[in-house]
Amino acid sequence: MNPELDLTISRVIKAPRAAVWSAWTDPVKFARWWIPEPMRCRVVAMDLQAGGAFVTEMAEAGGDFGPHQSACFLAVDPMERIVFTNTLLGGWRPAEKPFLNITAIITFCDHPEGTDYSSCVMHGTPDEASKHVEYGFHDGWGTVIMQLAKLVE
Amino acid sequence: MENYPSSLDTVFQALADPTRRAVIARLGRGPASIGELAEPFEMALPSFLKHVRALEDSGWIETRKQGRVRTCAIRPEALAAAEGWLSAQRALWAQRTDRLERFLLDEEQGITK
Repeated sequence: MNPELDLTISRVIKAPRAAVWSAWTDPVKFARWWIPEPMRCRVVAMDLQAGGAFVTEMAEAGGDFGPHQSACFLAVDPMERIVFTNTLLGGWRPAEKPFLNITAIITFCDHPEGTDYSSCVMHGTPDEASKHVEYGFHDGWGTVIMQLAKLVE
Repeated sequence: MENYPSSLDTVFQALADPTRRAVIARLGRGPASIGELAEPFEMALPSFLKHVRALEDSGWIETRKQGRVRTCAIRPEALAAAEGWLSAQRALWAQRTDRLERFLLDEEQGITK
């Protein structure tokens, strides 16, 4: 872990590991939580195997679908781990420069109270990383700021 | 004459190098002299000084000369800028986890109802 570029979010989710795995790997379920409302998410490709394409689109409320994420699975260990990167496209083809290079390692472990769910996200070069400010704002962070602003007003 | 972090690009560019990251990590514990900072690295002093200058130029650190000793200290502004960037990402993934959790709870309730 490089504390300047990486982050880990771990949570015990009170649901069986099979349910958490299914929420991640069933495209219909996945689309319901990946992006914050009122934006909508559409899974274009979720080929759950090493080298498989992982493509999502998003739409503003009432708007048309546009690109959201184009990535490639690096490892898919059923019920245990999903690794993907947006530096590659399906079939390991190098990606055009994304907003920000990331590799995300999602792990699913049994826990007495449910599932220990963890996202470890490694970010690319600082130059790229800085641009993720916009990306983050775009994808949910802005919602938080707006909510805060409403509370303050 | 102060070097303020001009942009996040510069701030993060400075972090692209492991030596500079190590220096920042060390300075996070408090100010140190160039000699103290250079000690852990197998590197000629002029090369090390280049890294110090890069950190200074990018706004990460400030240096002050007292007598014959130059002391380096971290600039909280740069740290805050970097934290802002990573905090945004942290928030994004934390919220994603929140939504997954909520989805699963709703799903479970839907099934048991």
